[in-house]
Amino acid sequence: MTEPGRAVDISRFKPETVYTIYIAATPEKVWQALTSAEFSRQYFFGFAVEADLRAGGAFIVRAPDGSEHINGEVVVCEPPQRLTITWDVNWPGLVAALGRTLVTYEIEPAGDAVRLTMTEAHERPLSDDILSGGRQGWPAILSSLKSLLETGQPLAIKMAPPARMLSAMKALGIGMP
Amino acid sequence: MDEVFKALADASRRALLDRLHARNGQTLTELCDGLAMTRQAVTKHLAILEAANLVTTRRHGREKLHFLNPVPIHQIGERWIRKFERAKLTALGDLKKRLEDSDD
Repeated sequence: MTEPGRAVDISRFKPETVYTIYIAATPEKVWQALTSAEFSRQYFFGFAVEADLRAGGAFIVRAPDGSEHINGEVVVCEPPQRLTITWDVNWPGLVAALGRTLVTYEIEPAGDAVRLTMTEAHERPLSDDILSGGRQGWPAILSSLKSLLETGQPLAIKMAPPARMLSAMKALGIGMP
Repeated sequence: MDEVFKALADASRRALLDRLHARNGQTLTELCDGLAMTRQAVTKHLAILEAANLVTTRRHGREKLHFLNPVPIHQIGERWIRKFERAKLTALGDLKKRLEDSDD
């Protein structure tokens, strides 16, 4: 069901990838790190998160070259516990070929730390080839976020482009920048 | 980290992780299918894997789905593998896989 005022019916999206990490920080600090460019550039391969933090607000992930990698929308905004956003990469034909993607961050207190869970959910069943890109990237992003908040230093992770995902997308006729 | 190693030090639990690696997001019934373990034993192993943060569950409609959470294993890798070693280790892993046609 779509809740009043909510443009996206969350129940239609099936979780496909779920990652959990414990971080020694406050929920507020984790929320800030997830929603601000100043932090995200450090742990998210230089990508800047620009979020208008209200349901229906814009959620943009800007690539280091300044282009809009993701031009999404805030679906659920309950600081500092839960944030759901549409996560559709801005490549020509991508949404038509794959359907839409939702990302949800849940932040729960766990003793002196917090438990952060990232869920990537999809409107349509997708192949492991398509899902491999997120499965390669998210553990590195979340580990780097943890390191940044706990030590002040992100992890310097050099990662090759997600070749398996890119070739699967190319085969589906999705345009690449 | 002790919990992660303890959870991994059991062949049945590694088999459950292998099943989730092959297909993520399974229900308890799907995970039990074809295994020589009782449902109770699988539930117990899953609880240990969940406590070690190697498995995460999410509800989807009426179903409880189990997901492989590789983040703690990734952290173990980051702790002991130096940046310049990664490419060499990947190459060696690929070679072993090709020669053995299996990565057990």
